[in-house]
Amino acid sequence: MNLKIIWMDFIYSIKGWYRSRGGMFWSLAFPVILILLFGAIFSGVGSTKYTLYVQDQDQTEMSNLFNTTLNATKLFNINIVKSDVNVTSYIKEKNIKSLIVIPKGFEQTIKNSFVNPSATVNLSFYFDPSEQTTTQVTRSVISSILQEMNKNLSKGRTIIGVHEISTITENFNFIDFFLPGMIGFTIMQGAIYGSIERNTKYRKDGILRKLLTTPITRTEWILAKMLFMMFLAALTTALITIIGILVFGMTVNINPLVIIILIATSFLFSGMGMLIGRFVKEEETADTAAGAISFPMMFLAGTFFPLEQMPQFLQTIAHVLPLYYVNEALRNSMIYMNQTESLINGAVVIIFAAVFFISGVLLTKWKED
Amino acid sequence: MAVACAACHAKGRITIPAQEQSNNFAIEVSHLKKVYGDLVAVDDISFAVKKGEIFAFLGPNGAGKTTTVEMIESIRQPTVGSIKLLGRDIKNQFNEIKEKIGILPQEFHSFERLTVRETLIYFSNLYKKKADIEEIIQFLDLTSYKNMLYRNLSGGLKQRVGVAISLVNDPEIIFLDEPTTGLDPKARREVWGVIAGLRKKGKTVFLTTHYMEEAEFLADHIAVIFKGKIIAEGTLEDLIRNYGKSSILHIKKCKNATDVIEMLKQEGYDEVSSDGNGDIAIKIDYKERVLEILSHLRHDCIEYESIDIRRSNLEEVFLRLTGSKLTEEKQ
Repeated sequence: MNLKIIWMDFIYSIKGWYRSRGGMFWSLAFPVILILLFGAIFSGVGSTKYTLYVQDQDQTEMSNLFNTTLNATKLFNINIVKSDVNVTSYIKEKNIKSLIVIPKGFEQTIKNSFVNPSATVNLSFYFDPSEQTTTQVTRSVISSILQEMNKNLSKGRTIIGVHEISTITENFNFIDFFLPGMIGFTIMQGAIYGSIERNTKYRKDGILRKLLTTPITRTEWILAKMLFMMFLAALTTALITIIGILVFGMTVNINPLVIIILIATSFLFSGMGMLIGRFVKEEETADTAAGAISFPMMFLAGTFFPLEQMPQFLQTIAHVLPLYYVNEALRNSMIYMNQTESLINGAVVIIFAAVFFISGVLLTKWKED
Repeated sequence: MAVACAACHAKGRITIPAQEQSNNFAIEVSHLKKVYGDLVAVDDISFAVKKGEIFAFLGPNGAGKTTTVEMIESIRQPTVGSIKLLGRDIKNQFNEIKEKIGILPQEFHSFERLTVRETLIYFSNLYKKKADIEEIIQFLDLTSYKNMLYRNLSGGLKQRVGVAISLVNDPEIIFLDEPTTGLDPKARREVWGVIAGLRKKGKTVFLTTHYMEEAEFLADHIAVIFKGKIIAEGTLEDLIRNYGKSSILHIKKCKNATDVIEMLKQEGYDEVSSDGNGDIAIKIDYKERVLEILSHLRHDCIEYESIDIRRSNLEEVFLRLTGSKLTEEKQ
């Protein structure tokens, strides 16, 4: 095996891909648009009212003033939490994203500060880090109100501050569910269509015939193409993950298991593309066939919606779809940190990959009849 | 060692000493057959191509040209028969042979988003032996296009790049499968110029074509294939001599054309025709008859503008051999 040839083919594949706007769009912009779109729809980005819970333990004129000012911004749907409720368990129980606690002695401390300049009081702001937009808006509103109050009370000296507490919640959001699905789906699309292009267009254009007469071996050619597929998979994963972190404030975990699953996924769907290209020989027909297989799989395998929301018979179907196991393996490893579950699903992905890739390679006709 | 000699195949088998065979022939095909179900695509053909010559495999579409060349290139598996390239059997030595051959497949389109230069470098990197890419670019007159993407090239340029790709390993044998199909006459002429240049470089060229003028213009040796069989082969001269009908003498703008035709018929010229505008065409079997006709014209003081003799061409050879025109066979 000539590694130089493999590397050279890989580099030229990148060049060709980089120059193809359509290819770039499908492999990069499409997932980015989808993730931003779905992320915005299901994560509440872009809505103008945020839900905010307030627990007033002080129940004084001063705490009332704060509440009234908060209400006057008209940015929040404010829900009052009874003063005797334990907020930590309340937050977990009700899956609350933003909550402010005005502590007992709030007004008293402010009064004390007139005689004792070192007296300060902190509001507690419980927030969900994954709800970045809500958190930022709430934080800046509280900060403005407190700045104004501090200015009126002491000409700028900070009497009232904020103590921020992250709500460590086990309840994940839609975007947490969606991001790994989007990675799996994008790799699937790239691998299937890339494989089909090589098996139909390259055949029609005589490129495969030409290569058969050159010293490059079938193994070198396949490995070079798989290297390119893995490059695309890595790029897609990096891009989608960065968006997840920067735009949606997600916590995404990339570990060796994730990388193994991504590699197996590339092999799995490249093999599937080879099989489609083997039996549907015309390029256009093969593309349609690929769409007919990959799109239903995308919806049925729980890429966009949790399987539990689907009827029982569809859930049964999902369990025979390779993409379902890719989604589950990635989700458990990247988001839920459930590595055992990921390992089980990852093993299924590897088995699927071996079956599809080996049969794809064996059944692909390299020579003409 | 007994092998079928291409030039003599139609007339029988001859024996060539093994040494001479491996020294002289670039391609040796013996009793090659390809069967698809009930269809015999290539039917027991044998021929040999000498080193350094342009060998044209001429025939209509569907005659078995591409099937044959793809069997020689090891892309298709023959049903029966043996193929040797540069004295080596392709069955078990094709990997070594790959380094010594260059191929332009039929209807070849390279990677769309690589430039001409990148395309040549890509294919060059697949071989151990490498020709100078810049030299190839110059030879194919591609210097102005070397940084253009392949997809943006015209059909003629794409074919020239295809030929260029087949040269990246400085091969001894170059296979060009219908290199000018679909090209306009100007582009076709340009590709012909390139192929003729390959002969000057001492390369052996195996050219499949259904254009008789291409074979006439380029080939040192022509094999005519029809319905899977080689029905004639030899040099252009051989083919015309053996299978061509005759030559035609044209008298242009002849005065008293009707009288002249009458006179020629009386003299025993059976195939005389006129277009009614004073142009006369006379079929002649041997060159002495030209002088005869000229002396008749002179004797009778017949005035005419010019005369020319057109010899038989491959089209006529093909017509005579198959009963159909080569061009009519095109799909």
